[in-house]
Amino acid sequence: MTLVSQKAPDFKLDGVVNGEFKTVSLEEYKGKWLVFFFYPLDFTFV
Amino acid sequence: MPEFKQRGCEIVGVSVDSKFSHQQWVNQPRNQGGIQGTAYPLLSDIKKTASRDYGVLSESAGISFRGLFIINPEGVIEVEMVNNFPIGRSSDEILRLVDAAQESKKGMVCPMNFAKGKEAINPKDAKSWFSKNAK
Repeated sequence: MTLVSQKAPDFKLDGVVNGEFKTVSLEEYKGKWLVFFFYPLDFTFV
Repeated sequence: MPEFKQRGCEIVGVSVDSKFSHQQWVNQPRNQGGIQGTAYPLLSDIKKTASRDYGVLSESAGISFRGLFIINPEGVIEVEMVNNFPIGRSSDEILRLVDAAQESKKGMVCPMNFAKGKEAINPKDAKSWFSKNAK
């Protein structure tokens, strides 16, 4: 089932921003366009 | 990626790796296979919840396909693209889709091969687009 035209599922995940650990959620991007992409594994290509 | 910033578009990447793995990868020079200098967030979906919620988890491999979503300022998904593992993406391809999605928010529709600078179709006056652009 496609998610097109649906509300994007919320996420709140730990990660790395500019080399520092940080928690990032979808909510922070309200009011902005966002390209949210998945990739299989680090140390491969994106 | 200044082209995305210029369009007011943020980027977030995610895989099922740990945040520690992400940090190592971000610190590794590009000529050694790293992605040093990457400024956008890389998130750790170690519990695979986001991958499942977005429908891009390969249950057999336990990792995410190359899924990409363009989310508008209201939090609604405008574009969904999912590639199999060996098929990489192109920033030009994604920029074109961001441009088309943004144009569509102005009430325009974007025909085949639409790109920034090209004329989109005003659905209230489609005839004028066809008379100018269709051969």
